[in-house]
Amino acid sequence: MPELMMRAATLLFVMLLAPLIPGIASRTRSILTARRGAPVWQLYSDLWKLVRRGSVYSRTTTVVFRLVPIALVTCVIVAASMLPLDGRSALLRFPGDVVAFAYILALGRFVLVLGALDTGSSFEGMGASREVTFAALVEFGFFIALASLSVATHQLSLSGMLGSPALADTWSSSAPAVIMIVAGLFVLLLAECSRSPVDDPTTHLELTMIHEVIVLDHSGPDLAMILYANALKLSVIGALLARVIVPAMEFSYALRLGVLVAGLFVVGVGIGIVESAMARLRLPKVPLYIAGGSALSAFALILLLQ
Amino acid sequence: MIVLLSGLALLVAAALAVIAMRNHRHGNTLFATLVVLGCGLGVVPAVQVLYSGTATSSVFSSALPGGDWIIGIDPLSAVFLVALFGVGAAAAVYGVGYMAFDPRTPAWPCHALFSLELVALALVLCAQAIMPFMGAWELMAIGSLLLILTEYRHAEARRAGLIYIVATHAGTLALFAMFAVLARASNDWSFSALATGTTSPSGARIAVLVLALVGFGVKAGFVPLHFWLPPAHAAAPSHVSALFSGVLIKVGVYGLLRVITLVGPPPAWWGWLVLGLGLSSAVLGVLWALAQHDIKRLLAYHSVENIGIILMGMGAGALGTAYGHPSLAILGYGAALLHTLNHALFKSILFFGAGAVYRLTGTRNMEELGGLARRMPLTWLAFAVGSAAIIGVPPLNGFVSEWLVFQTLFRAGFSTDALRIAVLAVPGLALVGGLALACFVKVGGVVFLGTPRTSRALTASKPGLLLDGPPLVLAAVCVFIGCLPVLVLPPMLIAGAFVAGMPLPPPDAGAMAAAVGAKEISIMAAVLSLTAAGIWLIAHRLRRTAPVRYSETWSGGYGLPSARMQYTASSFAAPLLEIFGRLSGVRTHRGASVFHSEPVDLVLDSAVIPWWGVIERAALRLRPLQQGRLSRYLMYVISTVVALLAYLLVRAGGR
Repeated sequence: MPELMMRAATLLFVMLLAPLIPGIASRTRSILTARRGAPVWQLYSDLWKLVRRGSVYSRTTTVVFRLVPIALVTCVIVAASMLPLDGRSALLRFPGDVVAFAYILALGRFVLVLGALDTGSSFEGMGASREVTFAALVEFGFFIALASLSVATHQLSLSGMLGSPALADTWSSSAPAVIMIVAGLFVLLLAECSRSPVDDPTTHLELTMIHEVIVLDHSGPDLAMILYANALKLSVIGALLARVIVPAMEFSYALRLGVLVAGLFVVGVGIGIVESAMARLRLPKVPLYIAGGSALSAFALILLLQ
Repeated sequence: MIVLLSGLALLVAAALAVIAMRNHRHGNTLFATLVVLGCGLGVVPAVQVLYSGTATSSVFSSALPGGDWIIGIDPLSAVFLVALFGVGAAAAVYGVGYMAFDPRTPAWPCHALFSLELVALALVLCAQAIMPFMGAWELMAIGSLLLILTEYRHAEARRAGLIYIVATHAGTLALFAMFAVLARASNDWSFSALATGTTSPSGARIAVLVLALVGFGVKAGFVPLHFWLPPAHAAAPSHVSALFSGVLIKVGVYGLLRVITLVGPPPAWWGWLVLGLGLSSAVLGVLWALAQHDIKRLLAYHSVENIGIILMGMGAGALGTAYGHPSLAILGYGAALLHTLNHALFKSILFFGAGAVYRLTGTRNMEELGGLARRMPLTWLAFAVGSAAIIGVPPLNGFVSEWLVFQTLFRAGFSTDALRIAVLAVPGLALVGGLALACFVKVGGVVFLGTPRTSRALTASKPGLLLDGPPLVLAAVCVFIGCLPVLVLPPMLIAGAFVAGMPLPPPDAGAMAAAVGAKEISIMAAVLSLTAAGIWLIAHRLRRTAPVRYSETWSGGYGLPSARMQYTASSFAAPLLEIFGRLSGVRTHRGASVFHSEPVDLVLDSAVIPWWGVIERAALRLRPLQQGRLSRYLMYVISTVVALLAYLLVRAGGR
């Protein structure tokens, strides 16, 4: 039982920490581009501001639209509870929970995108179309990475893959493969979490947006929940990446938590570096970008199957 | 068996009742009641067999060649019987409401044929000898042709019927050849007698397996044998489409699994072939579905996709036996069977919803719809659950079976032999899931959400209890299986073990279901709903503290948004279809102010119909043989007799 409490506490810790990661990314960008920039905790103040605001609902919308923030936050939290955040085991673990992890995130996306079409806006329809297009491709690449991890560790659950000694063994026996998985996952993370070079979170033109345009009609507390869910999703996938990079099974709890925080910090800085180094890709190029990320994992899978 | 047969008798009685009382007010009510009762009786022995794992059968002596006629239920047929009776009862009730909308088409022939079709399907699934099987098979084929022709006044239905009857008879021909090879050395044509002779030479086994893939494949409708399926599903009345998609095409799957029990574990190449066909069918099916504008054709292509997923499970199961991994075989076959059942449930919901939309708006073209969620809220609720189930998200039944297929493929990756290559199908299945999500966002969003695009969508009214009730009941079953898979999984694994040829006592099935994590799915579903409830409470509080205003949708500052400004279904699907290029089978038209895309069936329009012309021209060459003159036909008869006599003489001389 205390073990379970510790895991729940870790989840809560990550949930509190999550809004910091986008802040780290934008701080990195402002440092690299020699600007003053917003403080690291900007998202916390944004969320606090939004929850106190009133909201405006479009008259076209139905209950689906109001379900969006609830579904998004729920799905990301439940997905997070399947990830071994503490480096050993998740709150929820069972054979094949990798599939549940991805499909629960898909459930959130399903409601989000339906909510976009609920407004009857052409902007949001466009964003929805782009989101499902790129998400389908990301799903393909993500499952190649999962299949590689599963083949490498002979495990069917995220806790087994990331929290078992098998991953450390794979690092020592076939490091190139794991490095390719890590690189592939980072490429997909940028696409999945709507960061540059796939999407530009700072753009102000509706026609160039992907994620931002889907939530154009959300306001007040609803928008706060959606922004929070996105930040948490970034942390969850970042944590997955961190756990692949450092198999910390043997360490003490404090050290494992430290590895997680450091990993999330590195992911935030990495996103910031990418965002200041390259512009958003033209939309027709995005599938190629995702295919590149998938190909990295595919090479790893072939190496591991050999 | 008595219970099953009396259930079938009630179905026949339903057909007679609806014919006899065709002008009576309560004829339809009596019909629906009798069908529901008959299906309720029929499902009892099937469930018994599933949970006990023991088969029952009864023998009817027959003086015909081919031995006794045996009718029985074993775990394999029981799975399909449950799907048949479940979908059948729901579709009959729905059908009464559905047919009442069209005063020009008399409903009673459709209803009578529908319940007789249920009987034919049940007989196909229960027949355990070649003669009754093929007899029921033909009854089923003809019954479904007549059902497609219910709205025969539309040219579309007549064309669909023609394509269907050609396809199904081509398949039947392959089945005749298959059974001829299978039974060539035996006088007893019962399945049990044929199954004992599994030590047949490998050449014959290969022939049987390939012919089964063609013959049953036409019925199952995987790519490239799917071409009859979209026109037939679109033209038939919606409750019939539900039966077709839920059960009729599954009979093809049943046939393939039955052949496996007859000839024993198939060789590895067959398993790879089925896995490959399944994967390509799944990806192409969902891709082609994305391109459709007709909502029923779209759903029909999704059946092609789901048959693909079922075949992936089946292929993995066959590979499991071929490479000697019994647990993988049971898991693969079990996953295929569970997905068969699940697909029957959620696809029926979706066809019911599509039918209600069609009846109340008069169109199946998604581009003319929109905003129906406000006008048909219960239809939308059931449709949304069905959509979520078909894309495979938790906590619904589609997730459970896709998760099992995924597990089988992941586990294949652990082995050290060639089987580990099967893990490469994992990302393919994930891509299918992503594309299905895109497709059902398109359907749900364009048909039910947003603003009405035409007056047809604007004037739709509530469909009523007969059209909304059956899909809602099935949606509840979908949620039930998704939240408590531990109740449904063990019987599927028993049936899977039966197909794999491994006697598996029921307790082991329970242990195996636990081993694959069926209980934790329920925990996950509970966590999901509790978290959602918690977040809902928080959201409710936050929303109450601040003022709420209502306004127009943001359209870049423009104050007069119109329905025409909405994204269309064509535009929504365009980016994905462009990525797949030619493979996606669309013709697009671009102009300064229009974008329009039009789907083409790559197999039917580009291959089957051109080849059909070749066959027709060849057939015309034979026409001089048939001139309707008696003298000439007498000459044909006499020359045949002479030729046969000559053959006998030559054989006698050779001896």
